Amino acid sequence: MIVVEQKPVDKIQRMIAPYEKVMILGCGTCVTVCNAGGEREVSFLREALQFAESKNGGQGHIFTEHTLKRQCDEEFMELITDQVKDIDAILSLACGIGVQTLAGYFPDTVVLPGVNTSFLGMAKDFGVWDERCAACGDCRLDETAGICPITRCTKGILNGPCAGTKNGKCEVSPEMDCAWILIYQRLERLGQLDKMRRYYPPRNFRPIPRPRRIVASPSVAAVGGNNG
Amino acid sequence: MLASGIDSKVIPKSSQAQAKESTFDHSLMPPCQAACPLHMEIREYIDLIAQGKVMEALKVIRDGNPFPSICAFVCTHPCENNCRRAQVDNPLAIRALKRFAVDFGGDRMIELEAETIYDEKMGVVGSGPAGLGCAYYLRKLGYPVTIFEAYLEMGGMLRVGIPQYRLPREVLDTEIQRLIQMGVEIRTNTRVVSIDLLSEMGYKAIFLTIGAHQSLRLGIEGEDNAGVIDGATFLREVNLGLKPRLGKKVAVVGGGNVAIDAARTAVRLGAKEVSILYRRSREEMPADPEEIEQALQEEIEISYLTAPTGIKSLDGHLEVTCVKMKLGEPDASGRRRPVPIEGSEITEEFDTLITAIGQAPQVPEDFKLRIGRGSTIQVDPVTLTTTRAGVFAGGDAVTGPATVTEALATGRQAAHRMHDYVRHNYPLPEENEKNVLSGDLLSQTADMIKKADRLEPEIIPPKARTKDFRPVEMVYNWTAAVTEARRCLRCGMGAEILFQDKCATCLTCLRVCPYHVPYLDETGTIQIPADQCQACGICVTECPAGAIVLRRPYDRNHLAEELEHAIKSASEMKSKPLIIGFCCQYGLHGTGSLSDFWRRDRTGLHIVPVLCVAKVEAKHILRAFEAGAEGVFVAGCGEMCAREKTAYWLNQQAEKVRKVLEQLGLETERLQLFEPSTMEEEPVAALDQFTKKIGELYLDSILSKEVKS
Repeated sequence: MIVVEQKPVDKIQRMIAPYEKVMILGCGTCVTVCNAGGEREVSFLREALQFAESKNGGQGHIFTEHTLKRQCDEEFMELITDQVKDIDAILSLACGIGVQTLAGYFPDTVVLPGVNTSFLGMAKDFGVWDERCAACGDCRLDETAGICPITRCTKGILNGPCAGTKNGKCEVSPEMDCAWILIYQRLERLGQLDKMRRYYPPRNFRPIPRPRRIVASPSVAAVGGNNG
Repeated sequence: MLASGIDSKVIPKSSQAQAKESTFDHSLMPPCQAACPLHMEIREYIDLIAQGKVMEALKVIRDGNPFPSICAFVCTHPCENNCRRAQVDNPLAIRALKRFAVDFGGDRMIELEAETIYDEKMGVVGSGPAGLGCAYYLRKLGYPVTIFEAYLEMGGMLRVGIPQYRLPREVLDTEIQRLIQMGVEIRTNTRVVSIDLLSEMGYKAIFLTIGAHQSLRLGIEGEDNAGVIDGATFLREVNLGLKPRLGKKVAVVGGGNVAIDAARTAVRLGAKEVSILYRRSREEMPADPEEIEQALQEEIEISYLTAPTGIKSLDGHLEVTCVKMKLGEPDASGRRRPVPIEGSEITEEFDTLITAIGQAPQVPEDFKLRIGRGSTIQVDPVTLTTTRAGVFAGGDAVTGPATVTEALATGRQAAHRMHDYVRHNYPLPEENEKNVLSGDLLSQTADMIKKADRLEPEIIPPKARTKDFRPVEMVYNWTAAVTEARRCLRCGMGAEILFQDKCATCLTCLRVCPYHVPYLDETGTIQIPADQCQACGICVTECPAGAIVLRRPYDRNHLAEELEHAIKSASEMKSKPLIIGFCCQYGLHGTGSLSDFWRRDRTGLHIVPVLCVAKVEAKHILRAFEAGAEGVFVAGCGEMCAREKTAYWLNQQAEKVRKVLEQLGLETERLQLFEPSTMEEEPVAALDQFTKKIGELYLDSILSKEVKS
């Protein structure tokens, strides 16, 4: 899941300052799950913004709320076309993908991000999210016992552990597990310790040509340049 | 779809969807209500008692029961026998709570009125609970009603059967007085011998509820000796004011409630040794367990597996021969059949022998009705019609001896069927709108529910109570009643995932539920089984998708409504600095002492009553601040809360608000949580300190504003 974090209210307040009618738009998937952009957060943020405004004497923003099932597909945008006509800005609580989909679909409307898109991760505990994937495009989890050294090792090295490991923890923080110790332990458990002996050539650090695109099959018609 | 602007603050949905969402009721009928012959809204009135709203509770009770004060004393409470709290510790004391509501809710003050809408005269033969109930509902429907009673006094078995220590006569008199007030015509000392006569007198429909007053005979030698009396006659004589001389040693034959009543009455009449002879064991005894227990306390001896086989009269004494029994195979009633043990005869002397082995109705032949098993009147179970047109029957006369509540239910049913008959309506089966909740609590859920033992109302000690016929049981005091009512598990009104399409399957509900109720089914969908949910509301508050709601509309709406109400009255009063407090209404914290305590004479303090602080969301607190509150506090019950982990989850919501306060450069002290039971200082002092602090902050802010300008 994409993990995001809501921006501080005062920042959002400054961001929306120029616009009178603001639609706070939630998203019903990842950001709902990570408790930052679902329906509940939408109405919470609205209350927070109205409160902030009342403290400053009130400038008369008019807020509306809506939550789409997903903001990363244009078909969903159609559902709010009518409402968007009347407003000055959309404050999207979706990840960066959602914000851009909106911006693409409503070329004449200002779209503002209400959250910071942080990483790809999972819920470690209730209310705690951990990064798990760097979307590097070159998955090697088969060789590392299902534990990703790119995201979970501070250095992201492919032939670990380094000398900074101590009692299974990383030198960066005594609370952080050393990913390579975890990999070793799990390989041992699986009886695949030989994988530790292998040398992994460095990753290709040539900058990834962005934005990337994946095409399901050659029969899919060309949709134009990959940047819009 | 989308409403705009400030007016949709509370629930930002289109007005149509909003109206629909705020009114639907998905709550299920709890097992107590399903078990009650009258289907009373038990869960609702218990909940009101738990909030100390006794008058409202009484209103709910009165809506479902024509004579609650009678039931409060004598109901055999099938509700309690079906209470699911028994799976945690013990069932709720529902009858005792009803008595509390009746006594404290001002039932005596209630006056009833009824309007006559129709001309058709309705006749009710018999003034037992079924007859009284029928007359009550017929009168409410708008018919002129006459009750015919053979005895001098009204009430049927309530008067002549049930001893006064179980049902004080003032209670019965009050209810009958109310019927008279409603305009029911009453003819006592009028035995109806012919239905034709009633028809000639112009009664369009007649309800026969003549009870089952004829005691069954033992069928043994010497039964007609002086000194042998049947239970029904004995109780009737005592209840109508006679004081029969019983002698010292009395035996009662039988194991039902009448046998126990007769034995306890005998004790109160001064018999020194009273024993009950019952032919089976205690397990099979049909009498109420509580009654048996109280009889034993009153030193009544019960000889099980004992049956009399012959009675001889010897100079003023009775010589009763008894045989010992053993239990054989189960019989038609499902109870094990007693079999005499040969050669086990013993003879004992008694002064009086009371037979109470059952009663049957005695239907005059002139009624010309079809009579079924046990001399009962045969009726259609749905329409209550007999073999004669316009003649309905119910109560003990149809079922054989049964309970008061069942009789009341039959009375109500009869009234509606008679109405249908006279108005030529097609009789429809009674509607049951709600699905009944069934299923036992899973151990993982039951284990997590806070244990709280049942509080029994005080009982007068045996020595004191057997001197006269005053009521044995005392009524709860306020604290006991509220504490007992809070034990209710509120079956069937919990949370449900109303909007499956919104559910992101984020597993929040599964993670936050203190009772391990939500689970992932085999398709990967979250389920919140209604029969397990404890209605604490935590998952509703935490669900990030807003997909979960409580099943009852009131639970969904009341907090936001109360908040807006408080904000409105605050803005009208223009008091500064404004403080808004969310206060739990359950238990004594919400009612008597605390509501007053929070409010006192503090100006500018406005209370939002909430039903458990677990339902207070961050957005509600922010809304209070937005409306101009300088300070907000939330007062829950802390350790005293009947639910689990409410304080913890409230704190999570508070943290969210504090973060916003910080981001806006406001003091986090403006939001305060109070948990009176776990607070170190006195709640009053803590609140004083809080209001003082808010006052200072308010002054500071005014000063700094002036400095700026």
